[in-house]
Amino acid sequence: MKRTLTVFAVFSVCAIFAQYVAENLTEFKENIAAQKEEAKDALDPYRFDGSKVTYFNYKTYRQTKEVEIYLFNDTDYRFSFNGKSLPNDITVQIYDKDKTMADRVMLKEFNGLQGKNLVIESTELNKAYAAKKNETIRLKRVFVDYVIPATPGASNKTPTMKDRGAITLVMGYK
Amino acid sequence: MARLKLSSIVVLALFGYISASCGGGDDDELTEIPVDDSISLEDDFFESMDEDYHLPSPLQVASIFKKSGLDFNSDAPSKTELAGDFTDELKQMLNFGVYSADMAYCVLNEQANTGRKYLTVITDLAGKIGMEAVFENEDLMKRFDANMENKDSIEILMIDIHERTENYMEENDMQHTSAIHFAGAWTEGMYLGVYDYEHNPGKEGVGAQLTEQMAILGNIIKGLKDPRNSGTDLGWVISSLENIESTFNGFASVNSFYEDESADELVLKNEEIDKLGVLIKELRTKMITA
Repeated sequence: MKRTLTVFAVFSVCAIFAQYVAENLTEFKENIAAQKEEAKDALDPYRFDGSKVTYFNYKTYRQTKEVEIYLFNDTDYRFSFNGKSLPNDITVQIYDKDKTMADRVMLKEFNGLQGKNLVIESTELNKAYAAKKNETIRLKRVFVDYVIPATPGASNKTPTMKDRGAITLVMGYK
Repeated sequence: MARLKLSSIVVLALFGYISASCGGGDDDELTEIPVDDSISLEDDFFESMDEDYHLPSPLQVASIFKKSGLDFNSDAPSKTELAGDFTDELKQMLNFGVYSADMAYCVLNEQANTGRKYLTVITDLAGKIGMEAVFENEDLMKRFDANMENKDSIEILMIDIHERTENYMEENDMQHTSAIHFAGAWTEGMYLGVYDYEHNPGKEGVGAQLTEQMAILGNIIKGLKDPRNSGTDLGWVISSLENIESTFNGFASVNSFYEDESADELVLKNEEIDKLGVLIKELRTKMITA
């Protein structure tokens, strides 16, 4: 009888725990969907082209997640970043080349995305590129780096809800 | 004694979790719940790749080609009558992309009646590849018909379809298959460019756009090689695209462009575009043949 009760109790704990985690995940995903809408609204008058949600867990060491975006001729772009699923702030850096290239040029850097929706346009990036390279060559792609700071006390192997973060990036063109 | 202790711990834990699930816990308790290793799928969900990319939508690609001077050629898009012949899933997924590119091409060139035919086959193929929900719950065809004369409204409808497809794939952990759709859309977009270039010679803008679109090929191939696509027989698609990429990278114009740091635009010679065109047409023929 005792063994049956024990098995039942363990099973119940697992079931309740699984349901609890699932509810948190559902809420997290619903928040992301709402944030994507908010970021999309900030694109106007640019046309929506797609989105990229970058998920990560804060860890005790610094991490960088990179997203490559193409910029085509005669087209202007707007990038709408939503940081409302960031429990802690991160740094956003935008480069002309990927993180393996030592000679890459940083075109833009900003903090303070946590809890906000911020917008960047390709014209600004092209101007920065022209100024830094002293040339009028147009950017053909950019690399958005999310620099996630080291977070003391974070659980690297078994992340908790408070360690989780996401940035929603929505792209528009005209 | 040990059994008794274990039972007590389990019961206490059970009580704790029940309290938390009933709303008795505060926010701190909520955030301290560890993620169990048994929910590995959810662990993956919360950790994006360190290097990722965004591919342009078929509508953006069509828009860029149009801006570069591409004309509408009614014979160029893939025939909608072929859609019913695609019985294997790979061809259905590839042609979902092919027809998406064709629909964008028609809509941007104010060919709404033809665009409507593409919407019909795209809806049909979506049902076959497990994405019927994207086209459910909203009568897209009615909306399309109500806006036939309004190009902007039809474009917005296309953007809605693209967004719903993207959301659906993300919610259902199907993003890896988007590279297959995109391979079809990219090949068709390039084919439409090649067709115009060959039938209406002297269009430098279209030639330049074909060249520019080559930049995204590497990431399409990377997406196709995603291990989650290993159950799909993508070998011939990948090898054809790799052949196109290596041929392009071997062009003298490409090499001199990369050697000259001050060069702004890569301009291919006519014979190089012709060579690229042959490979694009070969791949497109394979894709649209059942």
